[in-house]
Amino acid sequence: MRWGESGVTLLADILTILLNGLQQGAIYVLLAVGLSIILGTLKFVNFAHGALYLLGAYLGLFITGQVPLNNGQLAEWGIQSYGIGLGFIAALIIVPIVVFVIGLLMERFVAQAFYDRPDTDQILVTFGLAIIVQELLRALLGGSSQPFPQPSWASGPIALPVVGNFPRWRLGVIAITAVLVLGVYGLVEYTDFGLIVQAGTLDGEMVRLLGIKLSRPYLVVFGIGAALAGVAGVVGGPLANVNPNIGTEQLVPAFLTVVIGGVGKIEGAVVAGLMLGTLQVLLIQTGYAAWSQVGIYALAAIILLVRPQGLLGSEVDVS
Amino acid sequence: MSDEPRDATATAAADADAEVTGGLADRWASFRDREISTVLLTVVGVAVFPFLFNNFLDGYTQLATLMLIYGIFAVGFDILLGYTGLLSFGHAVFFGGAAYAAGIFSASVSSSPLLVLLAGTAFAVLLAWIVGFLSLRRGGIYFAILTLTFGQMSFYLAASPLAFLTNGENGFTSVDIGHLLGVIDIHGGVPFPLTMLVDNMLYVFVAVMTVLSVAMANRILHSPYGTVFRAIRENERRAEFVGLDVWRYKLMAFIISAAFAGIAGSLFAIEGNYVPLESLYWTESGRIVIMTVLGGVGSLFGPLFGAGLYLYIENIVSGFPTLGPFWHLILGVVFVVAVVVFPDGIWGGIDYVRDKVAGGEDK
Amino acid sequence: MTVLETERLTKQFGGLTAVDEVNLNIEQGEGVSLIGPNGAGKSTFINLVTRRLEPTHGEITFQGNSILGLDPHEVVQMGMSKSFQTASIFPELTVKENATIAALAAEHGSFRFNFFRNQNSYPEVEELANEVLESVGLYSERENQADSLDYGNKRRLELGIALAAEPDMLLMDEPTAGMSPDETKSTVELIKRVKQELDLTFLLVEHDMEIVFDISDRIVVLNRGSVIAKGTPDEVQDDPAVQEAYLGGVEE
Repeated sequence: MRWGESGVTLLADILTILLNGLQQGAIYVLLAVGLSIILGTLKFVNFAHGALYLLGAYLGLFITGQVPLNNGQLAEWGIQSYGIGLGFIAALIIVPIVVFVIGLLMERFVAQAFYDRPDTDQILVTFGLAIIVQELLRALLGGSSQPFPQPSWASGPIALPVVGNFPRWRLGVIAITAVLVLGVYGLVEYTDFGLIVQAGTLDGEMVRLLGIKLSRPYLVVFGIGAALAGVAGVVGGPLANVNPNIGTEQLVPAFLTVVIGGVGKIEGAVVAGLMLGTLQVLLIQTGYAAWSQVGIYALAAIILLVRPQGLLGSEVDVS
Repeated sequence: MSDEPRDATATAAADADAEVTGGLADRWASFRDREISTVLLTVVGVAVFPFLFNNFLDGYTQLATLMLIYGIFAVGFDILLGYTGLLSFGHAVFFGGAAYAAGIFSASVSSSPLLVLLAGTAFAVLLAWIVGFLSLRRGGIYFAILTLTFGQMSFYLAASPLAFLTNGENGFTSVDIGHLLGVIDIHGGVPFPLTMLVDNMLYVFVAVMTVLSVAMANRILHSPYGTVFRAIRENERRAEFVGLDVWRYKLMAFIISAAFAGIAGSLFAIEGNYVPLESLYWTESGRIVIMTVLGGVGSLFGPLFGAGLYLYIENIVSGFPTLGPFWHLILGVVFVVAVVVFPDGIWGGIDYVRDKVAGGEDK
Repeated sequence: MTVLETERLTKQFGGLTAVDEVNLNIEQGEGVSLIGPNGAGKSTFINLVTRRLEPTHGEITFQGNSILGLDPHEVVQMGMSKSFQTASIFPELTVKENATIAALAAEHGSFRFNFFRNQNSYPEVEELANEVLESVGLYSERENQADSLDYGNKRRLELGIALAAEPDMLLMDEPTAGMSPDETKSTVELIKRVKQELDLTFLLVEHDMEIVFDISDRIVVLNRGSVIAKGTPDEVQDDPAVQEAYLGGVEE
């Protein structure tokens, strides 16, 4: 074997790990960006964010195709399947809109009443809401896993230079995530809306004194955060099966991504999500699959202990 | 206030009823405040509970035992959440960790139930010292997330890298519990006089531990720590500025609550002769949060009640026709209602109504 | 004897210097007021002295010992107590329990390993708590929830908490803010009485000049983080730099 050849293989391996890490991290990033802007701007801790992801996945299933019902109450009541079969693209467009509206309702009817209450109460009430959503779905649709079919135009491998064959859908996940995150980043950084939101984060009192109402921008921020979680459900669905537990399963790494990156920092969430994703893939592909989950939690714990404000977070005030 | 001298002549016949209720409430309050009465109440409670539960509530003794075990867990958790105001989302690590430690200890060192209990609890305390030391550096949401992180880390550690110890996803099946003090078969029946109340020894063992745990919790809450914990919950900064080492007191609250989780976890392993991997998962931490909040934070008996209610809905209501399949949903709804409407939980609600009925207490 | 001394004490936030090379010393038994226009760095200075903020550079000594590197509760245990700007009490505890917490910290120090001892086994704590309540005139309210007190009484309770340990020095951050004239008057009387009875040294931050001139032995004026004047009330009143800072800075 010549050196050049093994060099190419090594490069291919590294690129494959990076791409897989990007894809693995992409879902964390989508969830974390929404969670982070809500936490950063509204100071609201949303433990129901995973439930919005869960809703997104099931709504995606419902819009995309026809899903047979084998167990759960709906099946008991004689309904054999659900779905309207509009296809994946429709799901990708409709789901975020629906979950955006759900987010608005959540802000108005739940979050608002808890802005002035301690973090602990916010965590408790949203944790309760998450249980309600999850258990309602489980009771109605059953607890078994449903395969979420990949869109036909994105299934199968694609030949990439150096890397070789790579699953087309995984590339799609990376692309969709990049577009969405850049969009939100642009909105927050370069528009008047974003300016008001940022100013409100720094000093809400002052913004109000200037005669700008913050309740509407806050409402929209909540909606956008929710919509991102909904899209994450549609995008992430085809990567694994869908069942009522996926929301709570994704919530914990999503929160870690937020605090590692620094609360309220979109760039931070991206960096942290990619870091966690890449570490996980690296451990799996180098034969340490057993440590892949332990690894991300250990990394998170170390970062938080050394740098409590997160990688890109700024030093918070003493209070 | 009731301790002001009353004008005897003013006690008109119309007031007589209120007087009697007020007097009874006062007597009840002074009885309740004494340590020995709390212990006696608990003894009576756990003694008659299985009989009432089995005969009137479709219960069975094994479930009653489990209710007490989770009750101990919840009483300890309330010291942290209700009294000190710290919300941990990783307490499964102490419950499950103690269960594993107890199980492994029973299989490889000694099967004596008391030693097993001690080993499991000691493990939980040690672990809490480390986790608390690391998690308490930041308050609020960071504390919740760091405890969650350590909890999940331990779950995944037990799931595979440590599978040679824990038996991985199948759970630990080699729990080996011997006779209590060398003579009493803990999984056997009970001798005559006790048979009138309960049908197996395991319940008696757990009940004794419950009484001891309640007595310990009561003692702690009436020690200077009880006052300091509540001061930290109310105003952490002021507590620091009267000169208290808030950080160390918080660590103590964390360790104490973990000790109770450890007792409960060890009993759980002894009771089931088995430790499921799920006992470390974060939803288990969520369960104890729900039990404690549902029953009532900041009271001694509330969490016991909450644990019982949770397990009742999970195991009995879930078998009801129509309602059954929605049991978990019902729990979620009741929990949210409790958080929004009754911040002091159902026990707090009962307290409130009783005070109203007793009258005069302007709390 | 010097109780508190700061030497070239400085705190910068990013590019902003909130406290700039401040030298200050307070002698035993002295009542010193720190005044200055809004944003002069008074709160930052207090936060540095109580160890809530880490100075960028400079030295703080209390009773002759450096307190840099100590936690706030350690500084309190050394004898420096603080009364907050808003009535900072334990709202859902009773008035008596509020005093008990302060008494515990005073009698037992910052931490004790006694979670299995009944509270009743410490009569000296109970006694001190009662003394505190009597000295601020709240003994008859002891069984009530602290939250139910009116604002003036909450402030008195807070002062009682701060004084429970008989501190060598008390920092007061606008003790009469938000009080009615009557409440202000009785609080000022209380401070004067306590100062005399305990030979209390204090550092007061206050906006109300009437109070400042009434109870201070010495006044220190801060502007933009630096000391621009210090001296007796009369000296400071006539200082042109002070008039400039107050009148030139804010035009109303």
